[in-house]
Amino acid sequence: MEPVSTRKQLEADLTELKRMVLRLGKMAEESISKAIWALKNQDAELARMVLAKDDDIDDLAEALDNACMHFAARFQPLGEDLRAVTSIMHMAVDLERIGDYGGNIAKVAAELADKELIKPLIDIPRMLDVLSAMMSKALAAFDTNNAEMAKEVFAMDDMMDDLEKQIMRELLLLMMERPQRIEQATQLLNVARTLERGGDHVTNVAERVIYILTGKTVKASAFRRPRPAALNGRKEHEER
Amino acid sequence: MEKILVSSRGVNLYYDSARVLKDITFDVMEKQVTALIGPSGCGKSSFLRCINRMNDFIPSARVEGEILVGGSNIYAGGVDVIALRRNVGMVFQKPNPFPMSIYDNVAYGPRLHGVKQKDRLDETVKQSLVGAALWDEVKDKLKTPGTGLSGGQQQRLCIARAIATEPEILLMDEPTSALDPMATARIEELVRELKKRYTVVIVTHNMQQAARISDRTAFFLMGDLVEYDATPKMFTSPEDKRTEDYITGRFG
Repeated sequence: MEPVSTRKQLEADLTELKRMVLRLGKMAEESISKAIWALKNQDAELARMVLAKDDDIDDLAEALDNACMHFAARFQPLGEDLRAVTSIMHMAVDLERIGDYGGNIAKVAAELADKELIKPLIDIPRMLDVLSAMMSKALAAFDTNNAEMAKEVFAMDDMMDDLEKQIMRELLLLMMERPQRIEQATQLLNVARTLERGGDHVTNVAERVIYILTGKTVKASAFRRPRPAALNGRKEHEER
Repeated sequence: MEKILVSSRGVNLYYDSARVLKDITFDVMEKQVTALIGPSGCGKSSFLRCINRMNDFIPSARVEGEILVGGSNIYAGGVDVIALRRNVGMVFQKPNPFPMSIYDNVAYGPRLHGVKQKDRLDETVKQSLVGAALWDEVKDKLKTPGTGLSGGQQQRLCIARAIATEPEILLMDEPTSALDPMATARIEELVRELKKRYTVVIVTHNMQQAARISDRTAFFLMGDLVEYDATPKMFTSPEDKRTEDYITGRFG
């Protein structure tokens, strides 16, 4: 029998870590997709299923974290291997957070399932489409070691911001018309904000992919359209 | 403030017609630990030996280029090689105490350089053994043979012997490769301590060791200096693909 070299063993273990990241990404994406689907179709049962899956995502994220520590202890990795294992630990946090967001949206979906919606949901599902596309791209870039593909994720985050602003304007109008709508409109606003945050986490994942592959730290903002100072008000709003 | 102590300028080393070092140019900073890494036969030990002209002992060896220590070219004509080697101490892979007492091992260098007074020698021996973190273990048996010590103690004795002539530079050629992990840890601790007073250049095959103890790392491959940078950068995001491949164990 051919002896297994340390390098081969390391690569096999790293491939397993990678597989776990992809699985975690898939679960997080499913969680958030199903939650939006449940919200749009007022499907309380589906919302409850999403919530029930939350623990599985947490468990996988924890297992991934442990596997990374074992990997580091076993191989004392350097260079690209070191960048990979530390980045994977960060990615696990980002992806798990996206999974949590699915849970948060599912709670809103469950609450609104038996209420009349103040408007048909169009742009929120659009945000989900963009987010899903961002996630697929970031994870495919990770899977296929493609730094250029990872960079494509950054510009997509601009679309998320545009859609979120559009939703905000629309819901503000609806609230001004009839203050009774404020409660539900606020919930929907939170959903849009949550999706936008999800986009930020996917951006982090894409940044990490580039770091693993090139050793360079990139800022997503360098790939996004320049923001006029007036738009930075959004950040202030967040901090409040 | 970082200050250059050793400066290699276009150094080529030949053994007969074989060129084992190719145009090596880089600076070693004062009171830092500089690690030289690379696969066997890459030239790292040969380079180390250029710094104190140890290659002079090999008849077929020929050095081109300049190595400046404190601004003076050690390969210029008229250099006092004995004085150079006093200024550049060396520690080898296998501990090699002389077959004499612990005291005489450490006093050997100073005596060679003309120190005769007993009290001055006593003081030098003590300070050197303290500096090598060995004093407490041997202070009551200075007259016993150095070869009776454990491997790790013998290596620290050799370090004491090397610093007894008060060099500026300490060269270490894989100083822990023959030691167990505990003895290795003590030497590594000692190296961190030594850099407060000396400039250390260390050849090591253990990359984790280079990562642990050095400030800068130079990667040699087939006689070329491939990359030289701050150690954290070298072991996380090296610029050269060959460095990356070596430190991740893809070859070498």
